[in-house]
Amino acid sequence: MADILLQVENLDAAYGAVQVVWGVSLRVEQGKVVSLIGPNGAGKTTTLKVLAGLLPAKNGRICFRGQDVTNEASHKRVERKLSLIPEERQLWPRMTVEENLVMGAYPARLRPKARENLDRIYEMFPRLKERRGQAAGTLSGGEQQMCAIGRGLMADPMLLLLDEPSLGLAPMLVEEVFQYVRRIAAQGVTILLAGQNANYALQVSDYCYVMETGRIALEGPSAELVTNDHVRCAYLGATS
Amino acid sequence: MPAADVLNLLIAALLLAGLYAAMSVGMTIIYGVMKIVNLAHAGFMMLGAYFVLELHERLGMDPLIGVLFAFPVFFLGGMLVYWLLVRWIPMSDQPTLASLLLMFGLWLVLQNIGYLVWGNSDRAILTARTFRTVHLGPILIPYIRLVVFAAAASSLAVLELALRKTWFGMSVRALMQNQQAGRIVGIHVERTARRTFGLGTAFAGAAGGLLAMLYSFSPDFGRPFLLRSFVIIVLGGLESFSGVAVGALILALVETLSILVLPAGYQPAIAFGLLVLALVVLPGGVATLFQKRQRLA
Repeated sequence: MADILLQVENLDAAYGAVQVVWGVSLRVEQGKVVSLIGPNGAGKTTTLKVLAGLLPAKNGRICFRGQDVTNEASHKRVERKLSLIPEERQLWPRMTVEENLVMGAYPARLRPKARENLDRIYEMFPRLKERRGQAAGTLSGGEQQMCAIGRGLMADPMLLLLDEPSLGLAPMLVEEVFQYVRRIAAQGVTILLAGQNANYALQVSDYCYVMETGRIALEGPSAELVTNDHVRCAYLGATS
Repeated sequence: MPAADVLNLLIAALLLAGLYAAMSVGMTIIYGVMKIVNLAHAGFMMLGAYFVLELHERLGMDPLIGVLFAFPVFFLGGMLVYWLLVRWIPMSDQPTLASLLLMFGLWLVLQNIGYLVWGNSDRAILTARTFRTVHLGPILIPYIRLVVFAAAASSLAVLELALRKTWFGMSVRALMQNQQAGRIVGIHVERTARRTFGLGTAFAGAAGGLLAMLYSFSPDFGRPFLLRSFVIIVLGGLESFSGVAVGALILALVETLSILVLPAGYQPAIAFGLLVLALVVLPGGVATLFQKRQRLA
């Protein structure tokens, strides 16, 4: 059995008094792509935020590479090679593309490698190299997503939390983004992918969790879930 | 009115704008990173003035060198204030009443410390430079204003460079634009905030020293300049550096040129008037004018 990179046990999370994640347990094995699918508002984004340290866990435990990181600040988790590529990109609109990317290597450990990583990102996304001097806010939606992915990769993550990478993109670009996800996975980066686009998510992932109203409703190898009746009806648009 | 007089006024306005920008920039970066309206800025400016005065009177130090010394001293002082007081206020992406009250209280405390130590009489820093003038044909420039402008402009240039080229500077700009994204890439937000508070305080202290080379001062010194900083920051759209420069230039021009049409006694009303006007007409700052034009184009 492969090493377990991330183990989450009975995670609860809330915004103030409103609890939105209830007892979520999941695990991600090294080298795998794991997807977290479910309808809008199911708690996928909240779960990833808690995993990245942007929102405190109310209850439960998060172990990353065998260490308990439940109460650790976000910058420490980035140091441990756990990175989030957030929903809606969250770039710095008035900084250039290159500045956005370079900031991805902000933690002290990564700074000496910033130049090298930047070249690697530019090789992967030639479009970003063309636009490197441009303010990130002036990029198209697809380019902004590339930039956000590039910024996440600048941190040399072992585990990448990828939140809704296809949100708001044209169908052609969605296809392109998922090709990039495959390429990143092929480079050995473990990925936890959240998304409403179940079709693609099931295609690229090895294992899948289905989240509904804040709880894990279903889980299993992606290849098996594709044939599950509930998943087929609710997420893949099957009619029978 | 002769052209030379207009030119003289314009030059005076430009020189004043440089000082105004240096005076406001500290408030801008603190607001940008922490969303704290630093009312204590006025107190730090006052302390900066006395700091330079004391160095000048006790050690015979040139006020310009005193201003240079004010940077590190006030930087550390600001970090200390952050560590003692500011860090207990929860970070927010909007200004909070708690932070406003804290900074207001701190201003009152600083002011009263000022009265305790230096009394309420007006002081001034006079050197050989104070009354010299430079003649360029029909143009006449007070030498001290030129010196103050050069000091303010070079400190702003160094700041701009640091914000673009250093990791700390980049983290400041990043947090000003999107704090959550800063956490995502691993910026230690509290550390950057602490240093930013130090830097903003350093600029307040240094600006106070520069102001003290031009005006007489008492422990209540910062008040009118705090109001001006507000106007400049609002005109500049709250969190951009080019905005600060534009806001400073507008205020300096309006103040300087107003003596053509208004008695000097009305001058303090000008900053207030501009503030009200800016809040009503251009709440997003002067930059919104250009953005609107872009959207139309």
